[in-house]
Order: sequence, then structure tokens, then C-alpha cells
Amino acid sequence: MKPRLNFMETAGAVMVLGLAVVAIFAPLLAPHDPARAVAASFGDPWPPSRAFPLGADQLGRDVLSRIIYGARISLIVGVAAMAITLAIGVAIGLAAGFLGGAVDSLLMRFTDVMLTMPALLLAMALVTVLQPGLLTVLLVIGLVSWTQVARVVRAEALSISRRDFVLAARALGATRTRLIVRHVAPNVMPIIVVMAALGVSGTLLLDAGLSFLTLGVPPPTPSWGRMIEESTAYFRTAPWLAIFPGLAILYAVMGFNLLGHGYLRRRRRDASTR
Amino acid sequence: MNSHVESTARPMRARAAVAALALAIFFPACRAGSPAPVFPPGAQVLHLASLDDIPTLDPAAGYDVDSWMFEQMIFDTLIRYSDSGVDLVPDIAASWTASPDSTVFTFHLRRGVRFSNGRAVASADFKYAIERVLDPKTRSKGMEYYRGIVGAADFVAGRAKSVAGIETPDPWTIVFRLSAPDPIFPHKLAMPFAAAVPREVVARYGEDFSRHVVGSGPFMLRQWIGGQRIVLVRNPDYFVKGVPRLDGVVEAIGVNEDLQWFRFETGAIDLSAIPPAVFPYVIKTPRLKALTMRIVTMTTRYLGMNCQMPPFTDVRVRRAMNYAIDKRKLVAVINGRGIPANGVLPPSLPGYDPDLRGYPYDPARARALLEQAGYPHGFTATVWLPADQTMMVLAQSVQQDLALVGVQLKLKPVGFAPLLDAIRQPNTVPLFFSGWEADFPDPANFLDVLLSRAQWGANNDSWFYDPRFDALLAQAKPLADPVRRFALYRQAQRIAVADAPWVFLYFPVTWQIRQPWVHGLALNPMRPTRLDRVWLSPHPKPQ
Repeated sequence: MKPRLNFMETAGAVMVLGLAVVAIFAPLLAPHDPARAVAASFGDPWPPSRAFPLGADQLGRDVLSRIIYGARISLIVGVAAMAITLAIGVAIGLAAGFLGGAVDSLLMRFTDVMLTMPALLLAMALVTVLQPGLLTVLLVIGLVSWTQVARVVRAEALSISRRDFVLAARALGATRTRLIVRHVAPNVMPIIVVMAALGVSGTLLLDAGLSFLTLGVPPPTPSWGRMIEESTAYFRTAPWLAIFPGLAILYAVMGFNLLGHGYLRRRRRDASTR
Repeated sequence: MNSHVESTARPMRARAAVAALALAIFFPACRAGSPAPVFPPGAQVLHLASLDDIPTLDPAAGYDVDSWMFEQMIFDTLIRYSDSGVDLVPDIAASWTASPDSTVFTFHLRRGVRFSNGRAVASADFKYAIERVLDPKTRSKGMEYYRGIVGAADFVAGRAKSVAGIETPDPWTIVFRLSAPDPIFPHKLAMPFAAAVPREVVARYGEDFSRHVVGSGPFMLRQWIGGQRIVLVRNPDYFVKGVPRLDGVVEAIGVNEDLQWFRFETGAIDLSAIPPAVFPYVIKTPRLKALTMRIVTMTTRYLGMNCQMPPFTDVRVRRAMNYAIDKRKLVAVINGRGIPANGVLPPSLPGYDPDLRGYPYDPARARALLEQAGYPHGFTATVWLPADQTMMVLAQSVQQDLALVGVQLKLKPVGFAPLLDAIRQPNTVPLFFSGWEADFPDPANFLDVLLSRAQWGANNDSWFYDPRFDALLAQAKPLADPVRRFALYRQAQRIAVADAPWVFLYFPVTWQIRQPWVHGLALNPMRPTRLDRVWLSPHPKPQ
């Protein structure tokens, strides 16, 4: 049966696709260079106008162009950091769930310890120690957000590795590697997909938070979180400087959330009708 | 003193804020139990607000704008600056003389000046104050200024019980003998470090003197609750009759710049800074603009280049950096609250050189110089700066300008204290944003302190050295005649500008706004505003 996308999934997919198109074609879509002064609005931001549809900031930069280019950072961070998160989380979760015993206890206690630390605080500490930059942001977000993935994957792997087909494969003499790769991992996949789609919005928010705390990707690269941070002094006199990047963050987070929740809902329905 | 940026030009404050926070956490009960002092109806009370607590009220300890503002209300020095200028006028000393070679200074004190505990102020109190600053146990940052007094070295080393070069032949005369000519020594006595403090009160409270200060100044400390408020009241026995005109000064602590503005608009505070975001609005509104006051302070802001680290070892690269950065744009970004710099010395400083041209914005010339220096495609450099919102915006403006000539700038925001530490290590910081506020109105306080070889590893943060420059400084130093002295300093400044160890950015302009009922207020280009002659006309009381 061909999978039929539900409304949530469709909306989410369209939104994420839109984000990707904007990010990929940023140089064609943006009216101006996002890092150059193109308006004489120094120290006194300009409101939205025909020439600058979303206004110009206190350094004379076009807000629209900065938001368009900011989509690149958000998408890269959202997806790449999620990939790192999954790589770590799935590896630890599978190992713990499948191998069990002492390995399980050791890995899960380590996960518990990591869970006790607030993600943003840990991320701040790591960024301060490492050199600021895109790679650091990716690594840091990956390093602080794998714990949830590890716990869920472990639980799933634990239950799957006790199912009959796994026992059968084991009885047939399958090696441990083959069991994990061919039998357990593929069956954990659906839950990984859900965690990934829902997790991207989390990494996006974490990135925005780090940028807001000036610990994200350093200037001149435009990022939404930093745009908001730089406009805090102007909340009252030039609120558009903060509102538009805020809406951009909302849009991206909502897109990935809809995609993830829609997929989850379809899976549940499929499971109940099967 | 070191300073970094207009909105937060208070390097010492962060530590005090942490201390205040710690106090607030550990002693919450102290705060709840102390109501604000009540003034009788009709009393003239000036209301202020500030974000961070006052670091200290002890004259030996304070070395920042906020501490000095309150110290100069509570204490008196021998001589002081006039309200709006940097000319020395009598304070407790009614008159003074200097020997022709600028090595002996004699001060004659007024009679009948009393500390607020009732005891008469005598010359021994000034001697004690300076010995206290020189005592290594006090760990005073003002120590450096009084090392030139005869016998100071012996006293610091513990070989003498008192400083031989400070003589008090009678209670109303004090004589300072210096080991080398220093025509600007009187300025050092006008710093709050040299204010008269009563020995018996310091002996009673020790380290806690800051919380129980007793001075002879126009105001007395009434209440100081860390992180909450500080209240000063009029000293009825102040030696100038009819001064101060105010009955009290109340400063609320923990109020950020934006909140200050709100409170100013409601009339709850009488003076306020103007946050960057509302500044354009204030200037465009005639009613508000009429209430503003501005002053060009004796401060300079610069982008330092480490002259010992490539590529900044090459003077062509340093000049290219100067041509590449648009200082007018930089000033526009801070709402025009600055003057593009033509060199080291700010225009309000005696000895300023109005004919010095400096470096105009000329990116084509910058590119040509970079090509000559062997960087046709520019280079990448890391600039260190205090992690501060305004600083980051300024740094991005510089980053934009430099990108146009091929220089890619990486920004490295760090805390102010670690920044100062790093800059003082050789070959560590290639580029950095910095600033300097005058301690006294003389070119030596900029040129000697910031660019001489003797200050390597201390305040010469660009590790600049030019023997011709140092020779001129040595010639100028002992000269008391301002014409000859300033001529030599101007010559020295021209060498420094040609050698370009800094990108000379701008001289900040301070703006303040007052309520229409505040009178008699004068801003000073170098010191915090004095409030002793301020008075208030009748005005509505905000709730």
C-alpha cells in the first residue's frame, strides 16, 4: 500500500522544503549582501519600507537578506547536529539494549549522569572551552542532546532483541554484528526517524539559544538567534529587528515539528489498523 | 584608568556585582529589615539609579568612575578640579606653592575644617592617607602615583615607619619633597586616593572602613544596602557655607539602562543616561533635547595592534588598517556620541593638537599599502574585545570595513579582566579593542602610560617602541612650562601617529539627561559629576 501523507506531514514537509529552498538559493533570493552596510541606518534602525521590506538594522544591514542567509545556518545546524546526536545516541542505545548486562548498566548510568546536566548550561560550558565556530556548535549540540535518543533506542532494542525472530536468527548462528545490523537496527529505525524529525526542532532552538547568548556561529555569518540578541537594545524603538528573526525561528521549528508529529501519528494509526 | 565602552565604561563593576549578589544570597534578612530613610516633606533629595553596586567608598581602594563619584562627595582632597573644568582649585588647602624645579610642593590648609565626627582636619591626616595608600598591606591601586616622594621606597619596603618626604611642620602645613622633578604632582593630590581620612575611624573598622566612611566632604553616608540602595545626607558642618544645597542623594542600585529611562520618564529619577535605542528619539524631540547635557570626555578609544606580532610588525600594514576603517560610520553606529580620532590625545585634553590630520577613510590607499607590504589579498586576523553588546556591534562595523580591503577579521569576545591579562602577555593578542580615560589632564597620562617602552607588559598594550618617541617623552617630563612641555608632547604624538601602533578610532562624548527641575549641574570632562551645588525647583512627586 502506498503511504498516504496526512495533513500535518504534508504541511510540515512543505514548510521544511520551503526552508531548504530558501537556504540553498539564498544568494539568488537575498536582495543584498547580509554582512555589508547597505542602508545609512547606523545607530538608528530603519522600519520596513519598499527598499528594505523587513527594515535595516543599526549597522545598516538589510534584515530580509540576513534572515534569508540565516536559514542556511539554521538548516545546517538543525540537520547536521541531529545527525551527530543520532550517531552517538543510536550507537550507545543499541549497544546498551542489545548487549545488556554490565555494558548496559555502565552506559545507562553514564547517560543518567549526562541527563542531570541542563543541556544549555553544558553547551555553554563546552563552547567556552572550544573555539567558537560552526563545527563547535554542531559538536556541542550533538554532545549535549544524545541522551534522550540513547534511552529510547535502548528500550526499543531491548524489547526487539527478545523477540522470536531475533532468537531464531541467533539459533541459526548469526553473529552478534549481524544480529544488530540486520535484525535489531532496521526495526529500531521507525522510532529513530520520529526522534530525528522531532529532535531537529530541539537542536534549532538550542542553536538559537546559543546564538542569543553570543556563543553560536560568530559574526559576520548571520544567524537568527544572534539577530535577536543584537536587537535587544531596540525592543521598544525598533521591535521589527527582533520580531522577524523570531518568526523565522518559529517557522522552522514548526515545520520540523509538524513533520515529526505527522509521521508519528500515521505510524500509530498504521499500527492500530494493521 | 582602563576603560572599554561607553554604556559600560566601568571595568571594576562586574566583581562588585558578584559580591553584591553573594551578599544578597547569604544575608537576605539584612535587606528586608532596613527601610529607606525618610526625608521631611519639602526636602531637596536628588534621585539617581545605577545598574551595579558601588565597588567601594574607601578612597584608598576605589579606582573607577562609580566609586569616585561617591568618594568625592564624602571626602575632601587638598586641591580639586573645578566643577566643569580640569583647572586645579583650592579644596582643603587654601593655597599652595611649588619650587621652581618642581621637586618641593607646600600646601597651606584652611582652619576650621572638620570631619563629620567633629574632629578638626589636620595636615597629618593627609600624610596618613598617602602612607595608607603606599602601604603594601592596603593593596591600593593608587600606590604608583606617590612613589616619587622622597622616602616612599623605604616606606614601601618596610625600612621606614613613615615617608620622610612628607613633612607636617604644623597642623596647617604639609610639604612634599620629590626625588625627581614632577610638574604634574599636584594633579596626583587631586585624585581621591589622597583624600583626608580620619586615622581613628580606619583603625576602628579596618577593612570595613568602606561601609563606615567618615570624611569632611559635603555629604555623609547614611545608608548603603548592597545591591539595593545608597543614601547620602547633607553634611551640616561642611566648610563651604551654603553648600551643599541638596538635603540628600538617593541612588537605587540594580536598575539597568532601559529601566533607568522608564523611571526617568515617570519622573522617579532626576538624572539618567540615555540608552542607545532611545537616543535618536531624544534628539528628535525638542522638549527632551533641551534637557540633555553633553561633554567631550578625556577618553580615547582605539584598536590596538601588537607591533611585535606579524603582520603588524610592518608599519605599512598598520597604516593600511588606519585607512581601511571608517571612523565616521563607527561614530554613527554609537548615535554620533563620539568624535573621529586624529591621534592619541582627545580634544578636551590640554596639549591636544588640532592641526594633526590623522588617517582619513581611504580604502583604496589601504589596499595599495597592503599590496606594498606583501599582502595583495589581505590576511586573516583575530581581534580580542570585551564581551559586550555595544563592543560587538562596533567590532562588526570594523569587520565590514576590513573585509572590503581583504582583511578577514575573526572576533574573540572575552571578559574584561582576562582581556587585560592576555594583552599584557608578549606575543599573545595581535589585535584588540581598548580605551583609556585620563587620570589627570596631561599628555603624559596618555603618551607615557600607553606607548613608552617602560610600560611593556603593563599599559603599553600594543608593545610599541620608538627610541625617538621615548627620547621626547624624557625631555618633556620635567618641564613645568606648559608651552615647551606641550610642544614636545605634540612632536611625540606625531611620531606615534605616523608609526600607527593603534587604529585611532574615536573620542567618546558623554550625554546625560536631567529633569527640568534640576539646576546647577555641570559635567566634568574627566571626573564624575559633583552634586554639591545642585538644587531642585518645586516639582511633582512621583509615587
